[in-house]
Amino acid sequence: MASKRPVAKARLRNSLVGLGFAAPFIVGFAVFIAYPLVASVGYSFTDFNLFQTPTNIGLANYQAMLHDDRLITSIKNTLLFAGVGVPLNIGIALVGAHLLNLPVRGQPLYRAMAYLPTIVPVVVGAYLWRWLLNPQYGFVDHLLRMAHLPDPNWLLEPGWARAAVIILSVWTVGGTMIVYLAGLREVPKDLYEAASLDGAGIIGKFRHITWPSLTPITLFQSIVLTIAYLQLFAQPYLLAQSRLNESTAGPGDSMLSYSMYLFQSAFVNLKMGYASAMAWVLFLFTMLLTFALLGSARKWVHYVNG
Amino acid sequence: MRFTLFRPSTAAKYAVVAASAALVVTTAGCSSGGESAGQGPNGKTEVTFSYLWTGPEAQALEKVIASFNASQSQVEVKGVSNPDMQKQLASMSSAKGSFDISDGFGNQVGSWASKGVLEPLDQYISDDHVDTADFVPAAMGQMKYHNKTYALPIAVHSFELLYNKKLLADAGVTPPKTMDELASAIKKLTKVGAGGNITQLGLGNPDLPTSITTLGYAFGGDWNDPSTGKPTPDKPGNVQALDFYAKNVVQAFGADKVNRFVGGFGPYMSAQDPFQTGKVAMEIDGEWRSASITSTAPTMKWGVTQIPVADPSLAGSTQLTTSTLFIPANSQHKAAAAKFLAYMVGKDGMLPFTRALGNLPARTSMLDNPIYNDLQNFKPFLDSLKSDKVHALSSAPGGSQYATDLASAIDSVNRGKASAQQALSNLATKTAKYGQ
Repeated sequence: MASKRPVAKARLRNSLVGLGFAAPFIVGFAVFIAYPLVASVGYSFTDFNLFQTPTNIGLANYQAMLHDDRLITSIKNTLLFAGVGVPLNIGIALVGAHLLNLPVRGQPLYRAMAYLPTIVPVVVGAYLWRWLLNPQYGFVDHLLRMAHLPDPNWLLEPGWARAAVIILSVWTVGGTMIVYLAGLREVPKDLYEAASLDGAGIIGKFRHITWPSLTPITLFQSIVLTIAYLQLFAQPYLLAQSRLNESTAGPGDSMLSYSMYLFQSAFVNLKMGYASAMAWVLFLFTMLLTFALLGSARKWVHYVNG
Repeated sequence: MRFTLFRPSTAAKYAVVAASAALVVTTAGCSSGGESAGQGPNGKTEVTFSYLWTGPEAQALEKVIASFNASQSQVEVKGVSNPDMQKQLASMSSAKGSFDISDGFGNQVGSWASKGVLEPLDQYISDDHVDTADFVPAAMGQMKYHNKTYALPIAVHSFELLYNKKLLADAGVTPPKTMDELASAIKKLTKVGAGGNITQLGLGNPDLPTSITTLGYAFGGDWNDPSTGKPTPDKPGNVQALDFYAKNVVQAFGADKVNRFVGGFGPYMSAQDPFQTGKVAMEIDGEWRSASITSTAPTMKWGVTQIPVADPSLAGSTQLTTSTLFIPANSQHKAAAAKFLAYMVGKDGMLPFTRALGNLPARTSMLDNPIYNDLQNFKPFLDSLKSDKVHALSSAPGGSQYATDLASAIDSVNRGKASAQQALSNLATKTAKYGQ
């Protein structure tokens, strides 16, 4: 019994030591992340303009969201970006990973090239694409005209402007591609050999071996990409940016994403309470969608060890 | 034998030191943004002037600051260039601001004043003998909220019709004075090539909402109720202005064709600017083009004329915007900042500053000052401020939302998706709900 007290004391001391070393993070997290997060819940029930004391207005911000035309436009745009962008990203990454897995000369160079757009800063990428999509001098329309295809007014017509946002987002597909490539290289070769002996073709091997093996990665990528698309900000913001640093939302608000409108509500219209309510609705929707994706995993995700 | 990096007692001491350091770092981080400068090393009151200008404009401003400091025995101004408006707002929302005086735009004044961010200046204006009657009336109108003055204009901007002399001469067009003449000039100066593609635009628009709001005044419209400041987007003159643009530009040459041509324009005010490269024959723009065209297209032959009007009684109609100086309510040195503000809007501050930037002075007594004589085509802009038809958009709260919605309505007409009447009537329905 007597020996327990020093042990308990040592444990306490160890805990204190641990806490002490973790203190820079804990204090920083509490002050700069946890507190603003919790405070934003409270602000979402207030009329708060950043400068004056918030006044409690109950659920009015949430009710106002139901009748806000621009918010509804931003939700439609964001769902479209996510609905098209996520499957497109995964599809291109999957095909690209297979191509990058082929035993050809110079493959490391091709892999590096595929990954390159991911390390280009988004501002640089956006301005590059603004020039590429220029309807008069842009390389994209030039190629389309050479192929006798319609050359759209990118960034000036709502439909094509939305397409441009998705193109700019999918441009950085290299990151997803490399993760898939790593997954492909982990698939045991003996499975393919056994399938070949059983007479399986390319499609059969993909359907019964490759795809099931990659489903955990696909689940992870679906969740990560969905969250990224629901929070899409920089790409439409930069593509829609007009002169003198004024930010518009493209023709007919076609590039207005949910996060862009949240930013405008908070820092242009100074409606911090409304913006906080918007942020929490986005958070809850993202969480629900993530749980739904995780819940669906039992039906289509194949784990080798379970 | 058990390896330990520290003995427990030593480790506990380090842990306490680490925790304390974390707290110090954290709290220091909190305070660094909120503390305002106080007494300077020479006993003068130190005033921090955070401004949005950068580059050559900031250099011009620093010269004025230096001349103020040289003239002072009690106040020392420290200039800080900070073009980040979000940081400016964040600083003003804290108990102790990081600056004592800053700059902004006239259309923000009422909105910010209503939120208690700006210090009322009336007492300082009286103490420092600033003659507000000398300021351009439309500019002062933007500075007030509920009969109190919350900012003063350091420079103003007016809009006139800029034209390319060679393109007009080639087409046999004289600078238009009336809306009919403008319509005719647009038709003659817009050139269409193979496949209906536009190769030269009669009337270009560096900023379409500004062009339309300016034309609105020239049609006898007004975008705000003069007494309440509330939005009045569907006033007949406003609808006529947007309809004029829709009929004479969008419908006349096709929304798709116009937008495709505009989409290919080089950056504004660069060497590839469409007005400077002859892609655009006329455009509605501000006085700052004088300095910029001289710098990027010195050989260009261009002229300036008043905005054409729908009726002779409207001659001289134009729109004015303002660059302002204000003292935030959380400034720690308001009286000292007000002394500097009075200097800036006085002859010694405003004249060299506006001349260096190629902007218009906000005071009528400076409009004929010879300091501006060497700026090309600057006089028509200076003269425009003498008119009683100078208008400014209201700075009443909700102005930013109105500007966004107005730009959206104009955009729908520019894309051929709505008529002027439809777009502005819908907007009027929307603006009627502001603040509800």
